This record gives sequence, structure tokens and C-alpha cells, in this order.
Amino acid sequence: MRLKYAAMLLIAMCFLSCSRTSDVVEVQFWNFGGMPKFLDWIRKQVQVYNNTHPKVRVVLGEKSWHQIREILYAGFSAGAGPDIMTLHADHAAEFGAGGYFYPLNNFPDFEQVKQRFEPNIMESTRYNGNYYGLPSSAIVFILVCNKQLFDAEGIAPPRTWSQFREAAKRLTKDLDGDGAVDQYGLVLLGGDKGGFSYRLAPLMMRAGVKIMSNDVTKFEFNSPRGVATVKLLADMHQIDHSVTPGFLAYTLSEINDLFCSNKVAMSIEGPWFQQLVEDKNPGKEFYTVPVPVPDDLVDQYKTLPSLQDMVMYPISAHSKHLTETWEFLKYIRSAEADMLYIDHKTGGLPTTIQVLNSPENAKRKAWDVYDNEIRHSTPWPAHPHIIPIVKNILAPYGQKAIIGEMTPQDAMDAAVNEAYALLEEGR
Amino acid sequence: MKRSTPYLLLAPALLFTGFILLFPLVQNLLNSLMHMTLGRGGTSWSGLENYSRVLSDGLFWLAFRNTVAYAVAGTVAALLLGLGFAVVLNARIGKFTDIMAFFYSIPWVVSPVVAGFAWKWLLNDSFGIFNEWLTSWGIVREDVNWLGDPRTALLCVAVARIWQFYPFAMVMFLAGLQCIPQEQYEAAEVDGATALRKFFHITIPNLRYVTAVLLLLGVIWSFNDFNMVFVMTRGGPINSSMVLPVLVREYSFVYFDVGKGSALSILVFAMLFLLSFLYLRVLTRSDAA
Amino acid sequence: MKKTALIVLMLVLASLVLLPFLWTTATSFKPLTEVNKHPPEWFSPNMSFEPYRDMFFYLPFSDYTANSLVVAGAATVLTLVMGSLAGFAFARFTFPGKRLVLLVLLLSQMLPGASVIIPLFQLVTAAGLYDTLVGLILVHTAIMLPFVIWLLYGFFSGIPREVEDAALIDGCSRVSALWRVILPLALPGLGATALFAFLGSWNEFFFSLLLTTSDTARTIPVGIGLFVGEYQDVWNQMSAAAVLFSIPPLLLFLLVRKTFVKGLAAGALQ
Repeated sequence: MRLKYAAMLLIAMCFLSCSRTSDVVEVQFWNFGGMPKFLDWIRKQVQVYNNTHPKVRVVLGEKSWHQIREILYAGFSAGAGPDIMTLHADHAAEFGAGGYFYPLNNFPDFEQVKQRFEPNIMESTRYNGNYYGLPSSAIVFILVCNKQLFDAEGIAPPRTWSQFREAAKRLTKDLDGDGAVDQYGLVLLGGDKGGFSYRLAPLMMRAGVKIMSNDVTKFEFNSPRGVATVKLLADMHQIDHSVTPGFLAYTLSEINDLFCSNKVAMSIEGPWFQQLVEDKNPGKEFYTVPVPVPDDLVDQYKTLPSLQDMVMYPISAHSKHLTETWEFLKYIRSAEADMLYIDHKTGGLPTTIQVLNSPENAKRKAWDVYDNEIRHSTPWPAHPHIIPIVKNILAPYGQKAIIGEMTPQDAMDAAVNEAYALLEEGR
Repeated sequence: MKRSTPYLLLAPALLFTGFILLFPLVQNLLNSLMHMTLGRGGTSWSGLENYSRVLSDGLFWLAFRNTVAYAVAGTVAALLLGLGFAVVLNARIGKFTDIMAFFYSIPWVVSPVVAGFAWKWLLNDSFGIFNEWLTSWGIVREDVNWLGDPRTALLCVAVARIWQFYPFAMVMFLAGLQCIPQEQYEAAEVDGATALRKFFHITIPNLRYVTAVLLLLGVIWSFNDFNMVFVMTRGGPINSSMVLPVLVREYSFVYFDVGKGSALSILVFAMLFLLSFLYLRVLTRSDAA
Repeated sequence: MKKTALIVLMLVLASLVLLPFLWTTATSFKPLTEVNKHPPEWFSPNMSFEPYRDMFFYLPFSDYTANSLVVAGAATVLTLVMGSLAGFAFARFTFPGKRLVLLVLLLSQMLPGASVIIPLFQLVTAAGLYDTLVGLILVHTAIMLPFVIWLLYGFFSGIPREVEDAALIDGCSRVSALWRVILPLALPGLGATALFAFLGSWNEFFFSLLLTTSDTARTIPVGIGLFVGEYQDVWNQMSAAAVLFSIPPLLLFLLVRKTFVKGLAAGALQ
């Protein structure tokens, strides 16, 4: 008797968990994190869209940013992935090559939509002739300088490498005379391998180094300039001792804490840093300047590219509702929608031409710097293997060189060799 | 009694376990023999190539050494700590001991992810309370770089792991201690034995079985412990705290090389198979006793 | 004198052992501007219950709590039922293949989580149980079953055969003897096992992360994970969630605490 009830209960449970059939199209939208202001906004946008489009239901799934790859891979491999998602543009090559992203240029009105966006940024979603996403917000890496510490020392934010090194040295101090250094000139984000590569690359790129050749077949970060970049940081760490010793454990959270409590004077960061500091220490001021360049390249100070990182909206190639998803995408990436990014609380910069050039956007703190950087910045090379190469090869070898386990030349050469080996394996 | 009764009783559990956990095992075995990466080059047969690639990866051997050290040293330390606590608690002082036992068990009840983050904050070189104590009491001159120094990172994770695991050992030892017949102690006292002698000649031998079981369980669980290492160091700095479970994740989800990740999984499985073989022998030996 | 020294020692040990947990609790009351200051301080000037209140606005933790309770509760019950049957079979019967079956049960625990997740995910999705509580319950049960069976095997072994022989003489069937006589005797052991099973499901993060996507199925550990973002880590709310999250298992532990040690002594160590 009891068995019968148990069986009925089990059947009922299975029934309840089966998907409902109806003629409303469901669009699965996976959002991988973002600052609270963005999250609020996206929730509202989805709600408004659902209310004004009765035949479509956009289902927003909020996901953990740290597990993007596990979550997406699991979803795609079981055919239960999203129709549309937010993702960093450096995934375009990888997922595009794997056939998981739908080439947006296949949509008939794509050319029109493409015109909305700043060309330099739009190109970052391109791989092998296809565009794999519409830009959401853009990030470009700059140098933040602790105003209080710089003003007290009476020096200006550095423009060249020697000024950079000198500033770091002068701002490394033992304040209370107990023999232990309390304040450091530079902090590097070493606790996250991906994050570290995003600090090393801007310095390299602003020194004229190309991570890969233009045809993305050769690795070039072991060029003389590339090695010199690593050597600069290695010397600052080992000789000047102006880099925080604990940097290999630091994530953005620790860097923010250090910066706000005046234990560190400089860091290579992006537009999100303003909100981070405001949350931690309202009123704390800092200078925002372009990443320093080698002394002999100072005449190209305004044109050498910094690293660009961009969040985009790709559409899944396995989506069963491509048209509806595309409509939704166009809606949340209209110029009006882009106005959201004028607010620095969202962490990123706008990407549509209209908003980038608008007077409201110009009011952003340090806009003159961002404006210039964003027009000249370049993203990571569009290669399907770029993410593991940058995270698991460039970053660890760079770190080894900085702490002195290897010489910069050996480290970069070894890194390039391993990168080629990885490409061989993947064949 | 029907011959089929035991099989009927086992059926639900076996079907369940078999279906849900053996299927991944078979899948992993198959995947490990294929060249399988996310979209890059499709899927093709590659035989034992993945295994040779794993075994020739320096990072694998580093992770292997780290995992063995982490699992063995961590478990032994947790057992010693657990035994110590159990001995202290065994000196029953009424309700007080009960309350203390509750407090001592809290680390085990807290989620490993939460525990990892808590330890990470404590060990923070600038804002952590440990360095604050060490520097203000003059034990060290400068902040110690616990999680950022390749030499100490794994050790710190091991400490957090010991903190999480010792209550389990403590409770098992406590139960074991209470099983020791009083007569043995009384007989020893008649012979004039000191407390130390009693401990080493009566207590320890009686706890042999518990210790063996705890050692094996602890090592097996630590071998597959992903959360603690990942939350605290992610395998860093510079791979110095890389352990095998985290490496599986690196292969499968960072490189998206599922073939290689599966091969590593099968290798880990084989290592633990040997261990669990021992485990079973201990178990069924006691059964016959 | 010896007694006082022991008491003091135990108190010192307790405070050391609880340090990480106490620090998390302290952080849970601080505003974000006062978390992680230099020099570190236990009490900051503006401590309040705000993080506890704010976390429910940040994410629907009331939903997550309900889900966690349902999943952990159901998984515990399911595991105990199937585990009892299996443990009883091992304890009371000898049959061909016994050793093999035991080995298989143990082997199923030995694969690293990252390699089990994708096949398991495909299986759960194919069964239409993706993003459901039922799917989670089944997966959690499968994960904990082997260890639970081993524990119950030990507990049942510790109960003398004479007890059920007496019941059999009175005319009970073997299974009926299990239900009426053995289970009540094994209650302390069942309590201990229930705690293990509950904890295993309650704290489970990885599978819950991948197998759910909507708030109607998400559990607390996954919710806590969302506090750690790309740029921002909301440490105070995360600590508040962690503290609240620890309360149900602690309560359960209090409940079974008395029987716990007794149960282990009576059974598993035979």
C-alpha cells in the first residue's frame, strides 16, 4: 500500500519537473556577474522586455563569474546551454572555432546594427571573418596613482618607465621606523593567473610588444621589448623592493584594501576601480593616467595601444530561437541601453558611437584618458587557444621571472616554447 | 530464508550507485582514449596518447607530490590532533565536556568553501589577524607572506584542511576510547604502571582499528579535496599548491582538453583503487573477527 | 587543581579552534568600508545587522534556504532508506560477490568531482531533471550512499544476532525483524549517519552549481558563491550568509550529539 503511494509521489514529482509546453518562446539568458548597478538594470530590462513582448519570455539566469567555463561547457555539451549570454570577448575565437557561437553577420540586418558600435571595439568580436557578439561594455587598462601619497611626496604620475620605476622607489617607505616597510610603490595582481596576465600585457603592449603576430601564427612576447618589460618588473621587485611582496596571493579585493588604506601607491587597473574605491573608502582620490611607456617611445605616448577587455553578448549556435534572441539582443544593445554605461558604477565603458561621443559621457572622471585609450586599445589576439596560453603559460612564467626563479629572457623563451607545444597538441 | 533476499535488499542502492556513478566512470575511460577538445579538431581515437601526455607533464608530477604530501601529512596531523582532543575530552567533567565537544566539532560542520575563505582572511599578509599578532608580539619583524609565498602556500591550505578534518577523527577516537575495557587499565595499575605507560601500552593498541580506518578514509578524501585548495590558492602561487583534483579542472575546463582531463581522472582513480583495496581488507578482516 | 587546569586548557583550545568562525562572524556585522582594515580589528565602529538584512535583497536567500532544506532533507531520508537495506544485507548475509559489491560501492566514490560532473550532467539533463530539486536530490543521494552504507553496515554488525533470532522465533519475517526490532536498536547509529548525510548534501557546492540555473532550484552554497564576483567580493554579506547557513547543521548536530558517540561506540568500531 505504502509502495503504491510512494510510486505515485515519484511519478508526480517527475511530472512537475517536466517542462511545460506552450507557444511562448523561451529565451535562456545567462548573465555571468557584473556590478550591482548593472545587475539591477539587466533584471529590469528583462522584465520590461517580457511585458512588452507577450510571445517571448526571456529567462534570466544569474551565474557565478568564476565558474564560467565549467558552467558553459556543461551546458553546451548537454544541449542545455543558454540562447544568449554575457561573456568576455576573448572567448570569441575559442567558442567560435568550436562552433558554439552563432556568426551574427548571418542576420540580414547585421550591417545596420554594426554601425552603432565603435569600430575598434566591434572588431574585437571578430574571428575568422565572422562577428560573434555585440559589445556590451568595454574596459581599457590604465594606471591608477594614489593622490594622497603622490602629493605628499611631491611627484607627478609617471609617463615613462624610468619615471615609473623612480616613483615606485620613492613611494616605498618605512613610515614608523620599525625596520619594516609599510608602504609600497606598486602592487601587482598575482593571485589570479588570468588577472595577472591582464596587468603584464598592458605594460608589454604599451612598449610596442605584440603578443602574437598579426596572422596569429607566431608568438612574439619574447621579443627584446617583451623581455625588457618583464625585466622592468623583476628589477622593481628584486632590486628596488618596490613591489608588494605578497602580490602572488592578491586578488582585486586585496588590492582595493591596500590602495584604500594607503599601503600602496600604484596599480594597473580599469574603469571599475573607481566604484571599488568608492565602496571601500568614499572620497579617496586617485590620478588616472595611461600605462607608462619605455623612455625611447615617449613620442608615441598617445598612440601605443593598451589592453582592451570587452564584455559582449554572443548567441549560441545551438539556439532554437535565433530570431527571437537576436531581437532581444538588439533591444538591450540599443544606443539608449548603452547610456547605462555612462555611470561608472557599472564598471565598464560605453561601446556605441552615439554614447561614447555624448556630452554626458564626457563628464566621466578621467574621460580624456579613457577616450584616447579606448580608440587605440587592442584586445588579446583572436586565437582559439589564447585563454589557456595567457593564463597558464604567460602568467606563471612572468611571475617566475619577477620573483627571480628564472631570468626574464629564459622565462619568456620557455613560455613561447610551451605555447607552441600547446598548439601542436591541439592539432 | 531465500537466497535472493540479500540481493533484493541491495538492489535499490546498487542500481542507484551503478547508474549514476559508474556511468561517469565508463564515460571517463572512453574519453581518456580519445582526442577530445572543445571543438578544436573534433573527436578522434588517440589510444593511450592522453596518458603519456599526462605522465610527461611536469605539472602532473608536481601535483602528484603535493597531493600525496597534503593527503598523508594532513591526515596524520589531523589524527594526532583528534586523538589529543579526544583524550582531553575523555576526562569527563560533566556537562562542560559536552559543551566543549560541541565547540570542538564546529570546524567540521562549517562548509569547506566558507572555511577556505575564513582561513584566507586570517592568513592575509596585510589585514590578517595572524600577522597582526605575530608582529605586535615581536615574533616576526615583517608580515609573513603566507599564501603568496610558493614555499608556504600548500602548508597553509593543509592547516585549514586539518582544522576541518580533526573533529571527525576526534569523535571516532572518543568512541574508541570509550570502548576500551576498564579492566585493562585496572590490571595495569595493579602492576604499577604510570599514566604514560598505560597510554602507550593499552590505549594506543586498542585504537589500532580506528586509526587504520581513519587514516585510509582521511587520505582518500584529502586526495579528492578540491574546494579547500581552490578557494584558498587556486593551485598557486605559480602552481606551488597545485593538487590533482585542481589539475583535473585545469585540463578539462581551462584547456578544455577533456581527453587529457579524463586520462588524469582515471590515473587518480587507479591510485585510489589501490588504497581502497587496503581499506576493504581492514574492513572484512574485522568482520571475520 | 588538576580539574581547573584542564578546564582552562579546554577553553583556550576552544577559542583557538573557533577563531576562523569567530572572525567570519565579526565580519558579518561590519559595513563594507570597515572590512579588512589595517590594523585588523575585531570590532569596528559601525557594526550592525545590515549585512544580514541586505543579503536577502541581493539574492533570494529565503528561496535558497527552502531549497537547501528540501534537498538535504529528502536526500538524507532517501540515503538512509536505501542505505539501511543495503547495510543490513551486508551485515547479516554472506553471499557470493559480497566482496565485489563492497569494492564497487567504494570505487564509485573515487573519481575526482571535475570528471564526474560532465557525464552526470548529461545524464540528468537527458532525464529532464536539469534545474530541478528532484535532480539535485538524486545526485546528492548517489554521492553519499556508499559511505552511508559502510557506516550502517558497521552499526548493524554491532547488534547481536540473538535479538532478531528472538523475533524470528516469534514468527516475524527477516525484513519485518529489521523494521520492528533492529532499527529501533540502531537508532543512535542512524542518527549519526543522518548527520553525515545531511552535512554532505547541505554543504555540496559543485554539482549544485552546475545542475541548477534558476532561483527555484538553487541552493545556499551556490548563492554564497555569487557573492564573489569578477570585480567585487561582498565579504560582509557573504559572511552573514555563511553564519546563517551554519545554523541548521549545528542544530542537527546538537540533536544527535548525545547519541552520536554512543552510536559510534556501539557499532562502527566492531
